[in-house]
Amino acid sequence: MANWIPLWLHKLSSPPVFYRFAGVLRPWAIALAVLLGLVALYGGLVLAPPDYQQGDDYRIIFIHVPSAWMSLFIYGVMGVAAFIALVWRIKLAEVVAMASAPIGAAFTFITLVTGSLWGVRMWGTWWTWDARLTSELVLLFLYLGVIALYHSFEDRRQGARTAAFLALIGIVNVPIVHFSVVWWNTLHQGSTIKLLGPSTIAPGMVWPLLTMMVATKLYYVASLCSRARADLLALESGKDWVRQIAENEVRG
Amino acid sequence: MLDTRRPGLVHACMAVLRRDLTLAWRQRGDMMLPVLYALIVTSLFPFALGPESALLRRIAGGAVLVTVLLAMLLALDAMFRSDIEDGSLEQLMLAPQPLALMMGMKILAHWLATALPLIVIAPLLAGMLHLPGAVMPVLLAALLLATPLLSLLGGILVALTAGTRRSGMLLALMLLPLCVPVVIFAAGALAAAQEGLPWIAPIAWLGAALVLAVVLAPLACAAALRIALDS
Repeated sequence: MANWIPLWLHKLSSPPVFYRFAGVLRPWAIALAVLLGLVALYGGLVLAPPDYQQGDDYRIIFIHVPSAWMSLFIYGVMGVAAFIALVWRIKLAEVVAMASAPIGAAFTFITLVTGSLWGVRMWGTWWTWDARLTSELVLLFLYLGVIALYHSFEDRRQGARTAAFLALIGIVNVPIVHFSVVWWNTLHQGSTIKLLGPSTIAPGMVWPLLTMMVATKLYYVASLCSRARADLLALESGKDWVRQIAENEVRG
Repeated sequence: MLDTRRPGLVHACMAVLRRDLTLAWRQRGDMMLPVLYALIVTSLFPFALGPESALLRRIAGGAVLVTVLLAMLLALDAMFRSDIEDGSLEQLMLAPQPLALMMGMKILAHWLATALPLIVIAPLLAGMLHLPGAVMPVLLAALLLATPLLSLLGGILVALTAGTRRSGMLLALMLLPLCVPVVIFAAGALAAAQEGLPWIAPIAWLGAALVLAVVLAPLACAAALRIALDS
């Protein structure tokens, strides 16, 4: 039977096992992320055809769109980890949730910056109070709130659990904000802005986009691994397995 | 035989409410501070934007809303502060009565002490910015629904920061994403009323959100408090 999967997951949630597993996974993930990222950039910047209206300016979407996907995806991962951390009190889930927050905030920030760089060329303005832009900005503030709350506690585990609760409130809040902002915007002005729909996109542009999406996911895995490893070492600094690693470092 | 009778639920709720209101009344000066703050902020708008009444009339509704929100944020930090310092919050957590109900009463007391004076003074603030008299009832209705919503949402966040020392800026950062929908609907009602359009829909949304928050926020507040003070 497939009994080994839950068993393996159960083992993986133990800090020393995850520490070794993440150490093995990280170099592979980062190498694949760089490789796929380069392929996607070449495909997006050189091979993909220029847009019939926007010329070459649209090419920023190969950074912008995968970052936007990641900003939501990482919030989802953080929310699931936060739920596990609060319900089952698994230490690794707390670490994963808190290590995800800065990465997600960074992707959200990249999304906003690349979006406004594109906006100044296409819309003639750095910023407009469009529904999507506003929701993304609120998402950034949610990430920053989680990070700030985590760091305001002296006890890191308590900080992690409290920030996890805030992350869960945020999960409820994100759709509410999104729909209220859509409602707000359509009341005041008609939607004059149409983002490129997935159905209307040229096939030459799709594969670099999807490749970049995989690359950003792998980068997230790699970054999460190294952050979680560092956090685990700090959290478990009194334990035997950490002492052994430290001793090996000194000897080697 | 020990007397095992407990005070009834209603009795306990009233006791918490009376205690918090008495404490607030003993420090009436602190209660006036948000009101004073709102007055000062509102009187700054004409200085910054110029005294043209047409411009002021256009921004009046939104300006009063944001001013009241900021004044409430100022007072939010102190919601459970003294109770944490003198340990009465821990006693409340140990009490046999459900913590969520007790937190709901504390939030109600805080709303009565800070938001109600602001609502009383809101017509004056709006008048300073030349808000048309016909919009005034809508402003009061929006504030009556939006301020308890903010108090309830703020109560959860204050409970989350209960274990930390300084939380003023942190609270603002955490409250901003939560209050975006509240501000949008309240301001939407005001804008519609000012343009002579039907404004009942956004007010109804606020009311629905308030009903939801009255039920869920005390539970979330109690859960947050248990997490934040668990050590």
